[in-house]
Amino acid sequence: MPGGGHCPDCGSTELVEDSHYSQSQLVCSDCGCVVTEGVLTTTFSDEGNLREVTYSRSTGENDQVSRSQQRGLRRVRDLCRVLQLPSTFEDTAVAYYQQAYRHSGIRAARLQKKEVLVGCCVLITCRQHNWPLTMGTVCALLYADLDVFSGTYMQIVKLLGLDVPSLCLADLVKTYCSSFRLFQASPSVPPKYVEDKEKMLSRTLQLVELADETWLVTGRHPLPVITAATFLAWQSLQPSHRLTCSLARFCKLANVDLPYPASSRLQELLSVLLRMAERLAWLQVLKLDKRSVVKHIGDLLQHRHTLVRKAFRDGTAEMEAGEKELRERCQGPEQGKEEVASSSLDLPEGKRPASPTPLLPPCMLKPPKRICPPPPVSTVTGDENISDSEIEQYLRTPQEIKDFEKAQAARQAARSVSNPP
Amino acid sequence: YPSPMTPMTPITPATPASESSGIVPQLQNIVSTVNLGCKLDLKTIALRARNAEYNPKRFAAVIMRIREPRTTALIFSSGKMVCTGAKSEEQSRLAARKYARVVQKLGFPAKFLDFKIQNMVGSCDVKFPIRLEGLVLTHQQFSSYEPELFPGLIYRMIKPRIVLLIFVSGKVVLTGAKVRAEIYEAFENIYPILKG
Repeated sequence: MPGGGHCPDCGSTELVEDSHYSQSQLVCSDCGCVVTEGVLTTTFSDEGNLREVTYSRSTGENDQVSRSQQRGLRRVRDLCRVLQLPSTFEDTAVAYYQQAYRHSGIRAARLQKKEVLVGCCVLITCRQHNWPLTMGTVCALLYADLDVFSGTYMQIVKLLGLDVPSLCLADLVKTYCSSFRLFQASPSVPPKYVEDKEKMLSRTLQLVELADETWLVTGRHPLPVITAATFLAWQSLQPSHRLTCSLARFCKLANVDLPYPASSRLQELLSVLLRMAERLAWLQVLKLDKRSVVKHIGDLLQHRHTLVRKAFRDGTAEMEAGEKELRERCQGPEQGKEEVASSSLDLPEGKRPASPTPLLPPCMLKPPKRICPPPPVSTVTGDENISDSEIEQYLRTPQEIKDFEKAQAARQAARSVSNPP
Repeated sequence: YPSPMTPMTPITPATPASESSGIVPQLQNIVSTVNLGCKLDLKTIALRARNAEYNPKRFAAVIMRIREPRTTALIFSSGKMVCTGAKSEEQSRLAARKYARVVQKLGFPAKFLDFKIQNMVGSCDVKFPIRLEGLVLTHQQFSSYEPELFPGLIYRMIKPRIVLLIFVSGKVVLTGAKVRAEIYEAFENIYPILKG
């Protein structure tokens, strides 16, 4: 490098070294004149001494990117690698992160939010490729709170105007089921508990489809339903040895966390199966309960489409008919129509199985917690006169004020005693 | 002098149009604001009023409540006030006037300027279950359904600009309205979509 350090064009001493396409150049920062070009050709020994300049550093692409953004982009790539996602996902997620960073609200956000944003970009990418990644998994990996994640996720989807497809249930079943440690014998898994993966997957899928059809999935977190279905599938494949195993124990030996709602989903699924069993001729006589029905899950699933149709009547039609009935009864018994009398409520006992229950989500089958009477029609105009006495009830009397002030002073004094200055 | 009380007809709309749902959303909450037009000393208000709460370290406003109409007010030192909890626009205005009167009686020259309804929330029940997964597919540009986060589907209607929370049980919450007609219009728009 020549000494002196003056720009030949404008004479300025403000010369800076600028790396451009792996060549080092000396440039005048005042007029932009390139003072030295750097070495264009090298000998073999020279090349051996040259340091390798990474592509991203030589193109100057990172000069515009803040350190915080660079850190975030690195975290996105790290997360993709930890999740073993295909390499194309990495580029998409990085692009989303960069897109998000263009918004001032994101640039100025707290580090906690930027960290969570990493997870959001990866999750959106996975959803768009139907890769079944749950928010729970992402939050666990980022040590993030689901509430914080949820806020940032909703914000970024709206901000970037993205269309994020729903979580694919079938794919989630396959991934989640495969994580159960039950396909090989081990010190914690006795041989009778070991199960064939394909058999278990196929049965679990059928049970999850059944749950979806009978309104057990809509509006609920998807994972606990799948946990319950996996358990039932596993139990039903060898019921004689597995009926004694509880859901909690099952999850423990499979090395999978037991989500809290799973027990409730299990009970709901068993109720559905019991209703279906009542429609199967050779099972009606057995008077099954929630334990014994597990032995017959194979049969029930084989005929599930027919059984669901027979076991459950159309919930909507039933509700409308029921309401019509109630209204007619209120109007007077003489006005009751013949059709009402022949409703399922009047079927002769013992001749037919219990009348089908309506096919409705569990929240609609439970009786209402409290009956809210319709509010009386308000005749308030807003211009009514306001009496003095009504307002005075809200004002303290002078004695009350004195007492309150005394109490406040006493509290202050007590505080200053316990916390001496 | 008080104006003579004229008999009022109910505020709810008359017989619905023949093609409408026949269901009228009930108003559940009205949020309104008003400017009392003078600076207020919150410590004095908290001292002299029975129905006031004031924790300056937690929130920089007095929280005041009255029994009829059953509402809550946030009163700021700037003189601005927020009134929440009323079940109709008229009740919200009456409540706001009562809070202003309380503040007047506490010794401040409170006025009643720029009363405005800021938000109205309504709810109703269509009485049939809704396949939220189906709705998010057919109306994806307006819907957001994330069962991992919230059991309801969030539907952002453009005209009128109302946000609806739709649940599997058929219950619907409508919010973001400035006038009651927007709630009714939004429900009439969503009903055929839900009925499908």
